[in-house]
Amino acid sequence: MNLAAALARAFGPVVADGSDPRAVAGVLAWLLPPRRTPVALRRRAAQVAERDGGRPAEVLAAVVGAPDPALGDTLVDLAHRWRTLGVRVAVVGDPAYPARLAAGWPLLDAPALLAWRGTLPAARPTVAVVGARRATGYGTGIAAWLAEAASGAGVSVVSGGALGVDAAAHAAALEGPGATTVVLGCGHGIVYPRPHARAGGLFDRIVEHGGALVSELLPWQPPIPAHVRARNRVVAGLADAVVVVEGGERSGSLLTAGVAVERGLPVLAVPGDVRAPGSSAPHRLLSEGAAPCTGPADLLAAVGGAPTGDALAPAGQVPVDDGGLPPEVRAVLVAAWPRPVPLELLARRSRQPTGLLLAAVTRARVCGVLAEGPDGLRLRRAPTPEVRARLDSTTPGENAGRHGDPSGMPEERG
Amino acid sequence: MSAEGQVLAVSHSIAMVGLEPCAVRVECSLGPGLPGLRLVGLPDLALRESVERVRTAVKQQGLHWPGGQRTVVNLAPADLPKSGSGFDLPIAVAVLAATGQVPHEVLDRVWSVGELGLDGQLRAVPGVLPVAAGARHAGAGSLLVAPSAAPEAALVDGLTVVAVRDLREVVEVLRGRSCGTPARPAPVVVPQVGHDLADVRGQPVARRALEIAAAGRHHLLLAGPPGCGKTMLARRLHGLLPPLQVGAALEVAAIHSLAAQRRPDEALSLVPPLREPHHTVSVAGLVGGGSGIPRPGELSLAHHGLLLLDELLETPRVILDALRQPLERGEVVLTRARQQVRYPCEVLLVAATNPCPCGYLGSPTRACRCRPDRIERYRSRLSGPLLDRLDLHLEVSPIDREQLLGPPDGEPTATVAGRVVAARAAAAERWGEDAGNRDVEVARLRATAKPGALRTLAQAVEGLALSARAFDRALRVARTIADLGGRSAIDPADVEEALAYRLADLAVAP
Ligand SMILES: [Zn+2]
Repeated sequence: MNLAAALARAFGPVVADGSDPRAVAGVLAWLLPPRRTPVALRRRAAQVAERDGGRPAEVLAAVVGAPDPALGDTLVDLAHRWRTLGVRVAVVGDPAYPARLAAGWPLLDAPALLAWRGTLPAARPTVAVVGARRATGYGTGIAAWLAEAASGAGVSVVSGGALGVDAAAHAAALEGPGATTVVLGCGHGIVYPRPHARAGGLFDRIVEHGGALVSELLPWQPPIPAHVRARNRVVAGLADAVVVVEGGERSGSLLTAGVAVERGLPVLAVPGDVRAPGSSAPHRLLSEGAAPCTGPADLLAAVGGAPTGDALAPAGQVPVDDGGLPPEVRAVLVAAWPRPVPLELLARRSRQPTGLLLAAVTRARVCGVLAEGPDGLRLRRAPTPEVRARLDSTTPGENAGRHGDPSGMPEERG
Repeated sequence: MSAEGQVLAVSHSIAMVGLEPCAVRVECSLGPGLPGLRLVGLPDLALRESVERVRTAVKQQGLHWPGGQRTVVNLAPADLPKSGSGFDLPIAVAVLAATGQVPHEVLDRVWSVGELGLDGQLRAVPGVLPVAAGARHAGAGSLLVAPSAAPEAALVDGLTVVAVRDLREVVEVLRGRSCGTPARPAPVVVPQVGHDLADVRGQPVARRALEIAAAGRHHLLLAGPPGCGKTMLARRLHGLLPPLQVGAALEVAAIHSLAAQRRPDEALSLVPPLREPHHTVSVAGLVGGGSGIPRPGELSLAHHGLLLLDELLETPRVILDALRQPLERGEVVLTRARQQVRYPCEVLLVAATNPCPCGYLGSPTRACRCRPDRIERYRSRLSGPLLDRLDLHLEVSPIDREQLLGPPDGEPTATVAGRVVAARAAAAERWGEDAGNRDVEVARLRATAKPGALRTLAQAVEGLALSARAFDRALRVARTIADLGGRSAIDPADVEEALAYRLADLAVAP
């Protein structure tokens, strides 16, 4: 009796609205390592569901039973830890648990327990933008383009918490009104990856922007490969469509795509440079029947979202020289888009006095026209076909470096 | 002394405490007691051995040694630590004067320095240039030195340097029977451009950063993959530095002489020094140290010149920390139990580093294989007080085919060096000789900026989420950009250009 009361008191402030603290504590007690795993829990739940039927809450209760009194202190500590981290938890079937993810459980895999910070994506369409951690400038550029357009159209974005494509998608989604959800491969108590998870980093900004950080793990669980792999099924489970931007042969994004197929979601893949190792995952998916994604319109059409916002169709709305970039500079950036252009190359190709060029670049970065990464500088927004056409016709020879033209631009990295 | 006997002769020389010369009186007294020579006055180990060398040398040269008497040589002032073998000659001279073999009146004007071989031949000791300067300052009229040290010592104006081969010649010169060999000063070498800036093809941003670094003496960080030409750029920057004034060249030569990094007959070079210590250098090797009187390290050897530190991020933390204060103060302070030694180190620092542990982050030709968290940790070592001293950050990309095949497209060193001299002159006129754009107070910098420039800077710092330190750094660099452009006030565009000399932020991926 004492234990039940203590658990109710500890978990009361941590569980989401409509969740039962005792049910949450029961599932947790069952999951506490090293005895059992989420996989075992789902297997047992599947057996129980097949034999007895019932709603997820009843199935869960039948599997986990009452918590072991010996675990009382551990569970109370756990609740406090989550509380200090500002985390909410719910078990599958609870009102706050995302319905999309819970659908089909336990036959379809989903975490029995979900812990999150921020606001979980609402009913509006959500797209998963996934890809390699070791992404090229092309990969991060495309991911940013897709995510920014989705967010601009009010579509939510979901992805993993890694650097590379994931981070590019999240950061770009912050540019629009749509929210973005990060699925972590570690517990909420782990600061990983450090540049994003530290105070004031990308993750904090995502929460401030109305998005969420989601994890099925206990606060202290580290981002071991098994955890990172398992999060891919959550990414797919939270999405209405999955687009794979870039990834190697054994990329986790193939797992995400697999789960999406299992759940009957549309899977899209972005064609890449056939020479780049990072193209093998999307190309394999394309050969297996994934829809090609050649821009935000393809992605938004897949979730039935109306393509809106000028990120998608900025024809004639964005002046060619916005951000004060000299036309020669802009021409080089447009020709290379969405690949970034290294600064020296930009200076060389645009033939501007160096001081003037650098000042213009800083100005354009400050007003958000240009993004900068280790690979170089890139226009944040896709140039319109009209702009490209006009530039192609007016400045022949300056379009070296266009995607597919290997003569000028540096080769892709793997 | 009086209890031991009468002081019969005094000769003069110079002890170096770091770069600071201190006059030393070598007093010799003879008296009753056990025969032998006793040396008092804080001699170090090398100096103690001097007793045997002097005795043997005097006898070998057929001169008289006071055998039957107790001989005491005192080096005064007693509390000043003295070191090395350069006191052999003044000790021998004092003993010869005490025994009446040379007149002692001339010893007030004729000072001496040098090591004696057992055969009585004179040898040069390192650091004769600052010794000669010190001797002249302390009132010496002439200085006896070994022939090989003479050209270096003769660089000092207002001092007659006499080259003497051996003790017998010393006796002849002091008796006025010979003039010794009058020394001619080492020739002066004017810098020639070796590595021309015109060779830097297709890297306009790097060229521009070198020009700004040379003009404002801004420390420079070069990040780029192996083989992208970081060292090549650093050498070009060295070529852009204006030649040294003779006074500065003498300071540089004195430090190199003390560190035994210079031949005494070497020409006086007006070329600013270029030092490239390996990243495995010890703290003592970098800032100075060693037993006895600490010797100057690489930082001081690069005084008035350029210090190139490659593999900055492979360099141990303790070394990076040791760099910080000397860079801030422009001098190295080495504290030992009995004294404090100061060596100047007004250097222009060029620090080169790989962008990531494997070196290929951002490389168009090879894939980076580093885990992102490793890159983050690697770069975080760059942060902190040392990085704050590096005003200019430059990403160097590898040379590509387009560049290699292109024509030389930039100005040669001579043209750019002209602008550098003009910009330095403008800064010197504004701040006075003691300050530069790199270290003048921020308030004085601000006063020379147009209000629009400060507004632009504040907006950019806000918009790009930069630190307050970055604000100051950008203002310093903008000042130099304005000087290069001949503008008395900093324009908004100067500030914007200055802000571009930063490494890309890793945390913001797209
Ligand atoms: Zn690397």
